[in-house]
Amino acid sequence: MSERAAPAEGAVSAPVAESSGAGVRRIGGIITALIAVGLLALLAGGALAITALRAGEAQAELVRHTRDVEALIASIGIQVERSEGARRGYLIQRDPRFRDSWDLAVRRLADELPRLEALVGDNERQAERARALGAMVSDLQQIDRQSMAAIDMGLVQQALSAFASDRSADLLRSIRALRLEMADVEARLLELRDRERIETLNSSYAILAFCALLVLAIIAATILVIRRYTAELARSRDSLHRLNTDLEGVVGERTNELQRANDEIQRFAYIVSHDLRSPLVNVMGFTAELESARQPLENLVAAVEVRAPDLITPEVRLAVAEDLPEAVRFIRASTEKMDRLINAILKLSRDGRRALAIEKLAMSAVVEAAADALRHPIDDAGGELVVDKLPDIISDRVSIEQIFSNLIENAVKYRKPERPLRIQVSGRVAGQRAIFEIADNGRGIDPKDHERVFDLFRRSGTQDQPGEGIGLAHVRTVVWRLGGSIELDSALDDGATFRLSLPLRLDVE
Amino acid sequence: MPESQAVTIVMIEDDEGHARLIQKNLQRAGISNAVRHFTDGTTALAYLFDPADGPTVAGPALLLLDLNLPDMSGIDILAKIKGDERLHRTPVVVLTTTDDQREIDRCYDLGANVYITKPVNYENFADAIRQLGLFLSVIKVPEAGA
Repeated sequence: MSERAAPAEGAVSAPVAESSGAGVRRIGGIITALIAVGLLALLAGGALAITALRAGEAQAELVRHTRDVEALIASIGIQVERSEGARRGYLIQRDPRFRDSWDLAVRRLADELPRLEALVGDNERQAERARALGAMVSDLQQIDRQSMAAIDMGLVQQALSAFASDRSADLLRSIRALRLEMADVEARLLELRDRERIETLNSSYAILAFCALLVLAIIAATILVIRRYTAELARSRDSLHRLNTDLEGVVGERTNELQRANDEIQRFAYIVSHDLRSPLVNVMGFTAELESARQPLENLVAAVEVRAPDLITPEVRLAVAEDLPEAVRFIRASTEKMDRLINAILKLSRDGRRALAIEKLAMSAVVEAAADALRHPIDDAGGELVVDKLPDIISDRVSIEQIFSNLIENAVKYRKPERPLRIQVSGRVAGQRAIFEIADNGRGIDPKDHERVFDLFRRSGTQDQPGEGIGLAHVRTVVWRLGGSIELDSALDDGATFRLSLPLRLDVE
Repeated sequence: MPESQAVTIVMIEDDEGHARLIQKNLQRAGISNAVRHFTDGTTALAYLFDPADGPTVAGPALLLLDLNLPDMSGIDILAKIKGDERLHRTPVVVLTTTDDQREIDRCYDLGANVYITKPVNYENFADAIRQLGLFLSVIKVPEAGA
């Protein structure tokens, strides 16, 4: 197919692509939002879990603290009881081992009592109790020391009577009561803290469960959305595929239509030019008859002039000698011109109908050959023609030769006599196309005529060269037929560059 | 009378001007054979195949045929003549404006004897007709039905 189908397909496909694009963007947004929410939920869950863990650790620490306090209280109780038992044993038996036992218990108490005070320092009331306990223990030890000192000095009776009357038994009871109270307080505290810990744990579990549920829900929603998205993608892919297939059909149909229209125009041009020729034969024929009829008339006028000169008016003389030949001359010139134009149309139509023979063309050689036919006029003009290394293409040889010889011939024809002619043919590959440039340093073409020179029977510049304005129209028709395009780069008096873009490989159905 | 004088020239030409110019130039070439002129294919065919005075009965003929006729293509007439047992030896000179190579090939394939393109240039045209006249004056035409 030689003609280009106007690519109107973009207009057809655009709305579909746009709407599905919006859908895809919307779904993309939903997925992003869902994943963001899921991540936030996970982060929140993690943060909560860490907080809960820390709270749990703190609570465990508190519980351990409470248990330490309880143990200490118990230990203090034991030491107090032991010291009291040791004093009493010492009072009765005066055995130094009791005295040692008492000393040990007192040393331990000296260590444990401050520790207890330090441990319960965070609780004002327990601290008060601890101080009271310490004071009472200290009182008791004071009494113990006095009674044991009395025994050491041998005042046994005095010591024993003092024991019966001293406050040690009361103090001991008070100490026991206070110790129990403290232990009780700590036990209650422990219970409370345990309950708190369990509550925190439970709420952490609840939060974690909620987060897990949320994540599950988001995963489910994401899967759902992705499945819908995938289905939509598949649908749009299918519709795109359908559209593409249709498009091929549409393009094929258009190309066929175009081909038909082209054929129709070619046929039309052919018929019209033939039918125009027919009357032209008559015009020319009878003009010749008229001309040959003039000869006897002229003879008659000459004869009459001799025999009866007064019969010949100046009008008659003028008609025979000037008007008739002039009319015939103009009719002839016009008919000949008309014949040339009709022949040009015929030639174009015939070229359009010629079957293309596609082959690989060594372009440098093809162009050289086309240029060789014009070497003579180029040499005569003292000019030069340079053909660079050109990319090879696969196309129709005759058409390519026509294009290049026409363009080179134009360059020769429209050279600027004041400077030596120089024509350069160059070429390069651009993607799937070959670009050829035919540049000359001739008289150039006014930019306002750049379109016009490609029209049939239209010319530009000084009309000092023979021609009907067919060459470039012909070139353009041939270039189009080869699936190419031609453009012109030129200014008046500044040479002209014709740029051809041709497919590297011409496909003909 | 020589045999060539008996040949009737059958001219099938829809353009009156062309017909007149052809006749004039044939006369100028000294051809005085009877010329039967038809401007359409139907009446021409009726004459050609009419047994009363047509060439099938009344003697040899030579056909000057234009291809662009109002009612049919000259090629149809050519095919009919060359396909007819009694007329297929009749010389046919195709004289037309069409110079399409395919048309020319087709005419020769169908058995046309000469194919002449009408030149627009009158001198050439007159020359061609005069030469045709000379040609006509020397060729021998087979007897009808022979």
